[in-house]
Amino acid sequence: MSSLQKRAWLALWSMCPVYCIYFVAQIGLPYLQPTMLERIGCLAVVASFHAVAYICGLLMIKRHEADEPLLQDERDRTIDGRATRTAYFILLTGMIVVGMVMPFNNSGWELVNAALFFIVLTETARYALILIGYRQPRLAH
Amino acid sequence: MTNEVRLLRFLAQDMTQAELGRRVGLTRQTIAAIEQGRYSPSLDVAFRIAHLFGKRVDEVFHWQPGGDQGTQTTSSDIS
Repeated sequence: MSSLQKRAWLALWSMCPVYCIYFVAQIGLPYLQPTMLERIGCLAVVASFHAVAYICGLLMIKRHEADEPLLQDERDRTIDGRATRTAYFILLTGMIVVGMVMPFNNSGWELVNAALFFIVLTETARYALILIGYRQPRLAH
Repeated sequence: MTNEVRLLRFLAQDMTQAELGRRVGLTRQTIAAIEQGRYSPSLDVAFRIAHLFGKRVDEVFHWQPGGDQGTQTTSSDIS
Protein backbone atom coordinates (compact mmCIF):
# COMPACT_ATOMS: atom_id res chain seq x y z
CA MET A 1 0.00 0.00 0.00
CA SER A 2 1.39 3.39 -0.98
CA SER A 3 2.04 6.23 1.43
CA LEU A 4 -0.86 8.27 0.03
CA GLN A 5 -3.24 5.32 0.38
CA LYS A 6 -2.28 4.84 4.03
CA ARG A 7 -2.83 8.53 4.73
CA ALA A 8 -6.18 8.47 2.94
CA TRP A 9 -7.39 5.51 5.01
CA LEU A 10 -6.13 7.20 8.18
CA ALA A 11 -7.87 10.47 7.32
CA LEU A 12 -11.17 8.70 6.62
CA TRP A 13 -11.09 6.58 9.77
CA SER A 14 -10.05 9.44 12.01
CA MET A 15 -12.54 11.94 10.57
CA CYS A 16 -15.76 10.18 9.56
CA PRO A 17 -16.80 8.49 12.85
CA VAL A 18 -16.26 11.54 15.08
CA TYR A 19 -17.97 13.98 12.75
CA CYS A 20 -20.87 11.57 12.15
CA ILE A 21 -21.43 11.54 15.92
CA TYR A 22 -21.10 15.33 16.00
CA PHE A 23 -23.66 15.95 13.25
CA VAL A 24 -26.12 13.45 14.74
CA ALA A 25 -25.70 15.20 18.10
CA GLN A 26 -26.25 18.58 16.46
CA ILE A 27 -29.60 17.40 15.11
CA GLY A 28 -30.64 16.46 18.66
CA LEU A 29 -29.00 19.35 20.53
CA PRO A 30 -31.55 22.10 19.72
CA TYR A 31 -34.11 20.29 21.89
CA LEU A 32 -31.70 20.56 24.86
CA GLN A 33 -31.25 24.33 24.32
CA PRO A 34 -27.45 24.32 24.74
CA THR A 35 -25.57 27.52 25.48
CA MET A 36 -22.99 28.99 23.12
CA LEU A 37 -20.19 27.73 25.37
CA GLU A 38 -21.59 24.18 25.37
CA ARG A 39 -21.78 24.17 21.60
CA ILE A 40 -18.21 25.42 21.27
CA GLY A 41 -17.11 22.82 23.80
CA CYS A 42 -18.81 20.06 21.81
CA LEU A 43 -17.05 21.18 18.64
CA ALA A 44 -13.71 21.44 20.46
CA VAL A 45 -14.03 17.89 21.83
CA VAL A 46 -14.83 16.50 18.37
CA ALA A 47 -11.97 18.42 16.72
CA SER A 48 -9.59 17.24 19.45
CA PHE A 49 -10.59 13.59 18.98
CA HIS A 50 -10.04 13.97 15.24
CA ALA A 51 -6.65 15.63 15.70
CA VAL A 52 -5.40 13.11 18.26
CA ALA A 53 -6.52 10.11 16.18
CA TYR A 54 -4.92 11.54 13.03
CA ILE A 55 -1.63 12.49 14.68
CA CYS A 56 -1.30 9.10 16.40
CA GLY A 57 -1.99 7.31 13.11
CA LEU A 58 0.42 9.55 11.24
CA LEU A 59 3.20 8.83 13.74
CA MET A 60 2.63 5.08 13.30
CA ILE A 61 2.72 5.42 9.50
CA LYS A 62 5.88 7.52 9.61
CA ARG A 63 7.60 4.95 11.82
CA HIS A 64 6.88 2.21 9.27
CA GLU A 65 7.98 4.43 6.39
CA ALA A 66 11.31 5.36 7.93
CA ASP A 67 13.29 3.18 5.51
CA GLU A 68 11.22 3.93 2.38
CA PRO A 69 13.39 5.73 -0.20
CA LEU A 70 10.49 7.46 -1.94
CA LEU A 71 7.04 8.19 -0.51
CA GLN A 72 5.26 9.72 -3.52
CA ASP A 73 5.79 9.65 -7.25
CA GLU A 74 3.98 10.81 -10.39
CA ARG A 75 1.23 8.18 -10.08
CA ASP A 76 0.41 9.29 -6.53
CA ARG A 77 0.42 12.92 -7.60
CA THR A 78 -1.87 12.16 -10.57
CA ILE A 79 -4.38 10.33 -8.34
CA ASP A 80 -4.16 13.04 -5.68
CA GLY A 81 -4.60 15.78 -8.30
CA ARG A 82 -7.71 14.20 -9.80
CA ALA A 83 -9.30 13.63 -6.39
CA THR A 84 -8.49 17.16 -5.23
CA ARG A 85 -9.94 18.69 -8.39
CA THR A 86 -13.26 16.89 -7.88
CA ALA A 87 -13.31 17.73 -4.17
CA TYR A 88 -12.71 21.39 -4.96
CA PHE A 89 -16.02 21.59 -6.81
CA ILE A 90 -17.84 19.97 -3.88
CA LEU A 91 -16.33 22.59 -1.57
CA LEU A 92 -17.20 25.37 -4.00
CA THR A 93 -20.82 24.21 -4.17
CA GLY A 94 -20.99 23.93 -0.40
CA MET A 95 -19.61 27.39 0.17
CA ILE A 96 -22.10 28.88 -2.32
CA VAL A 97 -24.94 27.18 -0.42
CA VAL A 98 -23.62 28.26 3.00
CA GLY A 99 -22.52 31.75 2.05
CA MET A 100 -25.07 32.83 -0.56
CA VAL A 101 -28.24 30.79 -0.04
CA MET A 102 -28.54 29.82 3.62
CA PRO A 103 -28.08 33.33 5.14
CA PHE A 104 -31.51 34.31 3.78
CA ASN A 105 -33.27 31.69 5.93
CA ASN A 106 -30.79 30.54 8.56
CA SER A 107 -28.32 32.04 10.98
CA GLY A 108 -25.83 31.28 13.77
CA TRP A 109 -24.91 27.68 14.43
CA GLU A 110 -26.90 26.39 11.47
CA LEU A 111 -24.47 28.21 9.17
CA VAL A 112 -21.46 27.05 11.19
CA ASN A 113 -22.58 23.41 11.09
CA ALA A 114 -23.50 23.58 7.42
CA ALA A 115 -20.04 24.97 6.57
CA LEU A 116 -18.40 22.30 8.71
CA PHE A 117 -20.53 19.63 7.05
CA PHE A 118 -19.41 20.66 3.57
CA ILE A 119 -15.76 20.76 4.64
CA VAL A 120 -16.02 17.24 6.08
CA LEU A 121 -17.91 16.09 2.96
CA THR A 122 -15.20 17.56 0.73
CA GLU A 123 -12.41 15.87 2.65
CA THR A 124 -14.29 12.57 2.73
CA ALA A 125 -14.89 12.74 -1.02
CA ARG A 126 -11.23 13.59 -1.68
CA TYR A 127 -9.86 10.68 0.32
CA ALA A 128 -12.49 8.29 -1.02
CA LEU A 129 -11.59 9.30 -4.58
CA ILE A 130 -7.90 8.75 -3.83
CA LEU A 131 -8.64 5.22 -2.67
CA ILE A 132 -10.84 4.58 -5.71
CA GLY A 133 -8.05 5.97 -7.93
CA TYR A 134 -5.70 3.22 -6.79
CA ARG A 135 -8.26 0.57 -7.66
CA GLN A 136 -8.93 1.87 -11.17
CA PRO A 137 -8.12 -0.79 -13.77
CA ARG A 138 -6.23 1.67 -15.98
CA LEU A 139 -4.65 5.02 -15.27
CA ALA A 140 -2.29 7.13 -17.34
CA HIS A 141 -0.10 10.02 -16.30
CA MET B 1 -0.47 0.03 -23.66
CA THR B 2 1.60 -3.06 -22.91
CA ASN B 3 5.22 -3.22 -21.83
CA GLU B 4 8.22 -5.48 -21.37
CA VAL B 5 9.32 -4.10 -18.02
CA ARG B 6 8.87 -7.36 -16.16
CA LEU B 7 10.86 -9.32 -18.76
CA LEU B 8 13.62 -6.71 -18.87
CA ARG B 9 13.81 -6.71 -15.09
CA PHE B 10 14.19 -10.49 -15.14
CA LEU B 11 16.93 -10.26 -17.76
CA ALA B 12 18.74 -7.61 -15.70
CA GLN B 13 19.77 -10.19 -13.10
CA ASP B 14 16.29 -10.33 -11.65
CA MET B 15 16.29 -6.71 -10.56
CA THR B 16 13.67 -6.08 -7.89
CA GLN B 17 10.75 -3.70 -8.39
CA ALA B 18 12.05 -1.61 -5.50
CA GLU B 19 15.50 -1.34 -7.10
CA LEU B 20 14.05 -0.36 -10.48
CA GLY B 21 11.79 2.15 -8.78
CA ARG B 22 14.68 3.65 -6.85
CA ARG B 23 16.73 4.06 -10.02
CA VAL B 24 13.99 5.74 -12.07
CA GLY B 25 12.40 7.71 -9.25
CA LEU B 26 9.19 5.73 -8.71
CA THR B 27 7.76 3.75 -5.82
CA ARG B 28 7.67 -0.05 -5.87
CA GLN B 29 3.87 0.11 -6.04
CA THR B 30 3.99 2.17 -9.23
CA ILE B 31 6.45 -0.22 -10.89
CA ALA B 32 4.06 -3.06 -10.04
CA ALA B 33 1.15 -1.08 -11.52
CA ILE B 34 3.14 -0.40 -14.72
CA GLU B 35 4.01 -4.10 -15.10
CA GLN B 36 0.39 -5.12 -14.61
CA GLY B 37 -0.73 -2.53 -17.18
CA ARG B 38 -2.72 -0.60 -14.58
CA TYR B 39 -0.71 2.58 -15.03
CA SER B 40 0.83 4.21 -18.09
CA PRO B 41 3.83 6.31 -17.05
CA SER B 42 4.75 9.76 -18.28
CA LEU B 43 7.03 10.07 -21.30
CA ASP B 44 9.85 11.15 -19.04
CA VAL B 45 9.62 8.02 -16.90
CA ALA B 46 9.19 5.81 -19.98
CA PHE B 47 12.45 7.20 -21.37
CA ARG B 48 14.21 6.71 -18.05
CA ILE B 49 13.11 3.07 -17.83
CA ALA B 50 14.12 2.40 -21.42
CA HIS B 51 17.48 4.11 -20.90
CA LEU B 52 18.13 2.07 -17.76
CA PHE B 53 17.72 -1.18 -19.69
CA GLY B 54 19.64 0.15 -22.73
CA LYS B 55 16.58 -0.04 -24.99
CA ARG B 56 14.49 2.32 -27.08
CA VAL B 57 11.13 3.41 -25.67
CA ASP B 58 9.24 1.54 -28.40
CA GLU B 59 11.08 -1.64 -27.48
CA VAL B 60 9.84 -1.40 -23.89
CA PHE B 61 6.36 0.11 -24.31
CA HIS B 62 3.92 -0.93 -27.02
CA TRP B 63 0.88 1.12 -27.90
CA GLN B 64 -2.09 -0.65 -29.47
CA PRO B 65 -4.38 1.64 -31.48
CA GLY B 66 -7.84 1.80 -29.94
CA GLY B 67 -6.82 -0.41 -27.04
CA ASP B 68 -7.24 2.10 -24.22
CA GLN B 69 -9.31 4.84 -25.80
CA GLY B 70 -11.87 6.36 -23.51
CA THR B 71 -10.50 4.80 -20.34
CA GLN B 72 -7.26 6.72 -19.99
CA THR B 73 -6.56 10.19 -18.76
CA THR B 74 -3.64 12.31 -19.83
CA SER B 75 -1.21 14.52 -17.97
CA SER B 76 -3.21 17.54 -19.17
CA ASP B 77 -6.04 16.37 -16.90
CA ILE B 78 -4.19 17.56 -13.81
CA SER B 79 -2.47 20.62 -15.21
